[in-house]
Amino acid sequence: MTGQAFFVLTALADEPRHGYGIVGEVAELSGGRVRLKIGSLYGVLDRLAAEGLIEPDREEAHDGRLRRYYRLTRDGRGALAQEAELRAATARVVRVRLGLAGAEAAG
Amino acid sequence: MSGELERRYRRVLRLLPRYYRAQWEQDMIGAFLDGWLTGDPETDEYISRVAWPGWAEVTSVAGLAARLYLGGTGAPRRYFAWGQAVRRAVLAVLLVHAVLAADILVFLERGRRLVGWLPPPPASLVIAPGGGWDMEYYLVSIAWIAIFVTLALGYYRTARVLAALAIVPGLAALIQAQLTGIMPGPFAAWPFWVLFDLAPVLAMTAFHRNAPPAAPLPWLLALPAGYLLVYGPLLALQATGNSAWLPDFPGLCCILVSLACLVHTPRAWSRQAGGTGPWSLTLVLLAAVAGAYRILTLPGYLHDPHLITVSLTELLIMVGAVVLVAPDAARAQAAAPAPPPYPRAMTA
Repeated sequence: MTGQAFFVLTALADEPRHGYGIVGEVAELSGGRVRLKIGSLYGVLDRLAAEGLIEPDREEAHDGRLRRYYRLTRDGRGALAQEAELRAATARVVRVRLGLAGAEAAG
Repeated sequence: MSGELERRYRRVLRLLPRYYRAQWEQDMIGAFLDGWLTGDPETDEYISRVAWPGWAEVTSVAGLAARLYLGGTGAPRRYFAWGQAVRRAVLAVLLVHAVLAADILVFLERGRRLVGWLPPPPASLVIAPGGGWDMEYYLVSIAWIAIFVTLALGYYRTARVLAALAIVPGLAALIQAQLTGIMPGPFAAWPFWVLFDLAPVLAMTAFHRNAPPAAPLPWLLALPAGYLLVYGPLLALQATGNSAWLPDFPGLCCILVSLACLVHTPRAWSRQAGGTGPWSLTLVLLAAVAGAYRILTLPGYLHDPHLITVSLTELLIMVGAVVLVAPDAARAQAAAPAPPPYPRAMTA
């Protein structure tokens, strides 16, 4: 799973969001490191939708335009949990190898 | 309120295929405008008048368009066929690079007589050891073998990075030649760099995440087979003193594409063999590259009518061979086999 896809799925983990809502949430989650452009966002969204990891939730009118909201599917939730576990396990190994795990526990 | 800005962004979105716009355009416009508009009518009117989609935004849409037109798994048939054709054409051009590199390795070996039974290269072809540019040329040439193998094995990103780096020395040499009038090292001229270096590197965009992996073994076997097919006859002509029959490189490209078209024609015309269209489209793309190279190198032969006649004959033969597969290539856009489904297609 790419970093962008991981952040988009994470942005949808707690509630359905519309396109720009996802952009804002991803920027916040990443501490401003990942700023998705709209072309990149929809490249990720259509791929995740095709893989069955997200699906449309609802449409709402806003300033004369329709906003489409997206939510995680059950598969999407599973894939995100699996990816988070994998990344956490990798991070644990890195911390141990850098000698940070013991220092943190002692601190 | 958002009229002008929306119109500008819609223009950018025209880069995307129609089927994709039908599905996502409104959504994309909404998300884009949400990033600009404040809700205050006066401010929004001003923003709409003066704001433009930035380069980063346009680039992201262009990147998405490239991925969609050169489709992979899950793409509509027409775009999947184009994607497959471009991916195979890129692999074929990299195969040419790899075969040339293999020849350089053999040439260097013949110069040093590491394998006793191979004849030494003709004295006219031996290049005196040069400075750093020559060394760079040999290293870059040999790097193409690694790039070809990496791409064939499916390591797309690594291959893209290596290829982007590999074309830089050639460009630097050409710029230096432009400025000083002297080409440093045995690098090729602009037509070769544009058609065989830059074009495949750009076309490697087709190797995106959705691109189905190519079967690596046939491509890897094509390297030694291609070397023997090309250099076996060439070495035989050289050894028997018939060097005058050797075609130049653009001519060789035309001959190889013509032969490939002739070999593929029975399949392309067969009613039983399905799914040949993307291969026919690949051959048309390769013919376009070889033909452009043949034409761009013609001015170098203007002093010799015989060479012009030979070159135009090579070109005409190739055009004749391509005409045989062109109908199948045209059909490919409508009748290519359905792309394989996503590994986890819509399992929700």
